[in-house]
Amino acid sequence: MASIIDIKDECALQVRDFEFTYKGADAPSLKKVTMPIAKNSITALIGPSGCGKTTLLRAFNRMHDLYPGNAYKGEIEFEGRNILDPKEDLIHLRTKIGMIFQKPTAFPMSIFDNVAYGMRLQGIKNKTELNDRVEKALKDAAIWKEVSDRLKNDANGLSGGQQQRLCIARAIAVEPEVLLFDEPTSALDPISTQGIEKLVIELKEKVSIIIVTHNMQQAARVSDYTGFMYLGELIELGHTEELFVTPKEKLTQEYITGKFG
Amino acid sequence: MIDKIFSNLTRFSALLILVIVAWIFVELYNQSLEAIHAFGFDFITKDEWAPNLEKFGAYSAIFGSVASTFLAMLFAIPVAIGVAIFLSEIAHDKIKGFFGVSVELLAAIPSVIYGMWGLFYFVPIIRDLFGGMGIGLLSAGIVLSIMILPFMAAVTRDAMNTTPDILKESAYALGGTQWDVIKDVIIPYARAGIIGSIILALGRAIGETMAVTFVMGNVHKLPKSITDPATSIPVTLANEFAEADGSLYFSSLFELALILLVMSFVVISIAKFYFLRKERRGV
Amino acid sequence: MTAVQKRVLVNKIILALSTLSAVVAIAFLFWILGVLVMKGVGALNWNIFIYEGAPPGYAESGLKHALVGQAILVGLATVIGVPLGILAGTYLSEYGKNSKLAHLIRDISDIMMSAPSIVIGAFVYAVVVMPMGHFSAWAGSIALAIIMIPIILRTTDDMLQLVPGTLREAAFALGAPKYKVIMDVVYRGAKAGILTGVLLGIARVGGETAPLLFTSFNDNFFTTNLNDAMPSLTVTMFNYAISPYADWQQLGWAAAFILSMFILGLNIVGRLILYFGKGK
Repeated sequence: MASIIDIKDECALQVRDFEFTYKGADAPSLKKVTMPIAKNSITALIGPSGCGKTTLLRAFNRMHDLYPGNAYKGEIEFEGRNILDPKEDLIHLRTKIGMIFQKPTAFPMSIFDNVAYGMRLQGIKNKTELNDRVEKALKDAAIWKEVSDRLKNDANGLSGGQQQRLCIARAIAVEPEVLLFDEPTSALDPISTQGIEKLVIELKEKVSIIIVTHNMQQAARVSDYTGFMYLGELIELGHTEELFVTPKEKLTQEYITGKFG
Repeated sequence: MIDKIFSNLTRFSALLILVIVAWIFVELYNQSLEAIHAFGFDFITKDEWAPNLEKFGAYSAIFGSVASTFLAMLFAIPVAIGVAIFLSEIAHDKIKGFFGVSVELLAAIPSVIYGMWGLFYFVPIIRDLFGGMGIGLLSAGIVLSIMILPFMAAVTRDAMNTTPDILKESAYALGGTQWDVIKDVIIPYARAGIIGSIILALGRAIGETMAVTFVMGNVHKLPKSITDPATSIPVTLANEFAEADGSLYFSSLFELALILLVMSFVVISIAKFYFLRKERRGV
Repeated sequence: MTAVQKRVLVNKIILALSTLSAVVAIAFLFWILGVLVMKGVGALNWNIFIYEGAPPGYAESGLKHALVGQAILVGLATVIGVPLGILAGTYLSEYGKNSKLAHLIRDISDIMMSAPSIVIGAFVYAVVVMPMGHFSAWAGSIALAIIMIPIILRTTDDMLQLVPGTLREAAFALGAPKYKVIMDVVYRGAKAGILTGVLLGIARVGGETAPLLFTSFNDNFFTTNLNDAMPSLTVTMFNYAISPYADWQQLGWAAAFILSMFILGLNIVGRLILYFGKGK
């Protein structure tokens, strides 16, 4: 039986009995996942590859809908409604729940246009407003100093770490409530990784963060809560220190001590 | 010993293709010399083509080639891009497979069949709509566009498919619609590939013979309107080569072939080497 | 209307237009296929395979001459083109690799694959027909072979490169000479791919008309003499279609149908071989 702590603080998301089945699959990839996501804190998802952590993450902004035939069951509550409702406005949802990917995904356009992209999609055309908000997003993403003199340059000229911070700036520019990080440092060197981790911690003042990572040290360094997943089930969710020091489940203990994974 | 023979055999075969291509240029040039000496630049600027008077000007044929290709591109490009968007971004897996394979198989149908269909089924429609003979520049352009469409759509789709999923997902994750993702991410990312694909299709269209020979008319006169009969370089060659007499006549036809070869070589090279070089950015 | 609603609307319009263009394109193409099948099947009968060409108005006229001619022309082109193409592709993949020469050959072949086929016909006219003094099956086959070589060369090159380097190394490690490694290991590993390339190459030249117009020319009668003008399905189809005689036009449609089925069949078989070859 899973061991899920009760979160006393306000929750950004509530996952209840969530099941997810990929197109054509016989069995669901996620089984009866129930999980609270605390507001203005960082929740890390860990577990061996194939455990379903990225699948769960991509359900929060309904990324799975891009590929027809996948099936959701259960409930994910966000802002008082079930976002798995087929009538959910995905465009609106995705501006409220942003995402950062495994690799930097700078669009083939200038640095400025990359950050302004999400705002322009929402119809913001006012130049001053765009300028101000781009600057603020870049500052919040701790990359303003490096790029302020070359905003018109192609974003693909930046280094990997810079590009990833640019993508974070792009995501926070539309002022989301939740940010999903899908192994955001897996393509980066240790120094850039450190920078991104620092940034993620700073960001939790403004947004609630869920981060999938294959790196247990990273989860321990950045997160407030950690969820351990195995074979499509959430085995344990707890305060990060407690989960790593005194895990309640035998499977969690075996995983964090390196017995498998 | 056998090793040596085998490796030399392969090298000889590989070099043969270079020899043949060089030989084609040299041979066509040599055969054209008589016409080049006789007419010089007038050959490409004058449109009088009178075998009985031994006067040969290729302007109307060159014009017809360019004009029919231009018309074909005008019709084919928007539709091909539409089909490519449909195939790469809209259609679900099953439809995608069905349409995708259909498009590729249709690209394999010999162009002579498109020409034959054009003559019997399409020319009458043009005749009814615009009067005249129905045979001419417009019919040639449309039949050519239909012939080139599957190829153009298939290569454009392939170019669009080079856009990494993760890049598209990033735009969706910001609240983009499919069209936002297409115009802001896929088209900018795959721009070189898409332009290259279109130019490559143009290069093929310009040298296409059989799809247009049926429906163009082979009239060596500048058409006054797009429904007038006209000719193009391949149409002239197809109609007149086997029946030509007199060395100057032959030489002029060879010069036409040389001009066509150079034109398509240039167009295809631009497509292949400028736009379709396989260097992909990271991501 | 908010900016977002506008975007959603524009998206719907564009997606509808794109779907419409796909439907229009497919409709046109199925129209052509439909005509081909209706007209072609309607014109099919056993006489087509029994009788050769005849003047218009004769009941006993068929396409035997063109069918056999086509087989000879394409067969001969295959015999010339396939070995040269495979050997040249072998050079690129196994010997030339990333050398400048190999890249030049690849580039030139790529261009030749899209170059106007009628120009190849003009070239062969100059170097084969003129010296011989008359049209011949040889000339037609040579023209087709020139068109075929770059196709075979490029697919062979691509397919051989897909064979993992470790396989070659394992064979070398057993002390096999290079040609043995290529023959026994590389070719075997790329068998399905090469075969597909050959089939697609045959399909491609099988539909060529332009390079035959003034090389093998045409003939309304049955012949197997390679030194003589030889009928082909494609040129016969062209001549019959532009003739004013209804019965010849009928035969033209029959020829078009047979040819298309042959070419589509080769394409489908080629794809299936590649598909199932990969599965193993």
